[in-house]
Amino acid sequence: MTEPERGGPRGSDPILSVRHLTVRAPNRTILDDVSLDFEDREVAAIIGPSGCGKTTLVRALNRMAEVAPGIRIEGSVRYRGEEIYDPAVNPVLVRQRIGMVFQRPVPFPMSIYENVAFGLRLQGIDEEELDRTVRRSLEQAGLWKELDGDVERSGLTLSGGQQQRLCIARALAVKPRILLMDEPAASLDPTATQRIEELIFDLRKEYAVILVTHNMQQAARVAERTAFFYQGRLIEYSDTHQLFENPREKLTESYVTGRFG
Amino acid sequence: MTAVVGAAEGPGDLQGSAARWRRRYAVDRIMRWGLPLALLVVLAPLFDMIYWIAVRALPTFTLATLTTDQVGLGGGLYAMIVGSFTLLGLATGFAAAVGIAAGMYTAEYAPPPVARWARVAGNLLAGIPAIVLGYFGYYALVLYTHWGYTTLAGGITLGVFMVPFIYRTADLAFANVPSEQREAALAMGARPGQYLTRVAWPIALPAILSGVFLAMAIGLGETAPLLYTAGWSSTPVAGLFQPTSFLTGAIWNFYDYPATEGSFQALAFQAAFLLLVLVIGLNVVVQAVAERYRRRTRGMRA
Ligand SMILES: Nc1ncnc2c1ncn2[C@@H]1O[C@H](COP(=O)(O)OP(=O)(O)OP(=O)(O)O)[C@@H](O)[C@H]1O
Ligand SMILES: [Mg+2]
Repeated sequence: MTEPERGGPRGSDPILSVRHLTVRAPNRTILDDVSLDFEDREVAAIIGPSGCGKTTLVRALNRMAEVAPGIRIEGSVRYRGEEIYDPAVNPVLVRQRIGMVFQRPVPFPMSIYENVAFGLRLQGIDEEELDRTVRRSLEQAGLWKELDGDVERSGLTLSGGQQQRLCIARALAVKPRILLMDEPAASLDPTATQRIEELIFDLRKEYAVILVTHNMQQAARVAERTAFFYQGRLIEYSDTHQLFENPREKLTESYVTGRFG
Repeated sequence: MTAVVGAAEGPGDLQGSAARWRRRYAVDRIMRWGLPLALLVVLAPLFDMIYWIAVRALPTFTLATLTTDQVGLGGGLYAMIVGSFTLLGLATGFAAAVGIAAGMYTAEYAPPPVARWARVAGNLLAGIPAIVLGYFGYYALVLYTHWGYTTLAGGITLGVFMVPFIYRTADLAFANVPSEQREAALAMGARPGQYLTRVAWPIALPAILSGVFLAMAIGLGETAPLLYTAGWSSTPVAGLFQPTSFLTGAIWNFYDYPATEGSFQALAFQAAFLLLVLVIGLNVVVQAVAERYRRRTRGMRA
């Protein structure tokens, strides 16, 4: 396994720094001693064959992995220097700072407005602020114009691509610093996928985005850096163009050239 | 030589052997006529019973039947109607509170082994004969408490009878909320309690409500839990610690009397008719609620 690259020429402190992260299920190791850093205001792509642990990794980054029964987590994940697995840390606050978008859109069965307001209401934000933030989040997710002001209809009535952008708006509304996206375009058609990619490209101005994807062109288009995982291990993590054009590891090369997986 | 695959049985691919075709057709005919016949056998007694009750109840059924007390051998059902609804109200309040809370706990908080045993116990409770429960109510709430026959004892006993029905539907309703919804809510920073009240509750509510209405329909028609607990009174219920009459009791008590006009037996049939209407009404409500549920969650993945 290669040593993780630290900030490199960018030189800033990482927003998320993962050290010796190991995640075990009852009878197997899903992630094995993973160490890497994520920078603020960058998009990092996570690639690798199915079952290599990509979803498990992002779920371990906002303490969602432990929601599944029987999962054990070792190692360290520091968010701006603060250990998120410290027993004194409240996982609820971690999840507010580090938002998450799932592979399949999961709108709550309530109005579009209430979907976006969900996280804010949990925090007890007052109504006036609520209106503004809901609108801004929908605008940010590129959904506001399409809705034509109709935010009262059920979130379930939207198309798949719109639902996914609703879920992104919902995650953005609580003003996270990091957005974890687990194959956010996997269930979408090419047009909807392109909209999501453009959105990710814009989000980089304000957020750190960690994007799991099966689509290597997508990684190449939107990500500054790319991490390649294989069987629970981080094989290579470098600048995206280097990883695709000039990989250091044989495994990476055979994966990105499509010779396996 | 050229062989046409699949054409071995006859002149064309689309026909197959005639014998087999006839056999299938026979099976099909049995299905077409036999199955509706079975349904008819299931439903016939229902319609026969409705007819049987209606012809005996309706000729003497007037508004006064609903609004006057029982007098002598005749009169109306007023006291029994008030009694039945008081008992049902008490029972539903008790059973819904306990059943929903227990269902919520089983589906969301209980460790898996606890949940497994709780479900078995719930099914057992649903299987206890109502008359056994009635006797238990008599022992615990009439004798042991020294209350005597009271509306409260009847209401609680009926409530205990109804609990498992509500408990089971509530547990199922919460357990059936797609796990994605739970994950999404937790990932938004919701605590489990917030997930329950804000996401799971509105999804589960219609199913829970139809469970509550169904339990009410079953409870309204029950006699056994009340016979040894609620007592009887020919005047409307005067308080929680007073005895009360109830509609099913009218059937139980009056059916054996001779059939003369304005008699006890007429009251029994009128009570039966009214119960039938109420139970059917509750079932219609259940259907309406279920339909609403389907509409609300349409488009949500299971
Ligand atoms: N809760 C769990 N219990 C047991 N095994 C699990 C659990 N979650 C994941 N795994 C296993 O860990 C491995 C990695 O799963 P993960 O979902 O992280 O893969 P992935 O890289 O996201 O795959 P895909 O590209 O197909 O989404 C898989 O073999 C999976 O079966
Ligand atoms: Mg995955």
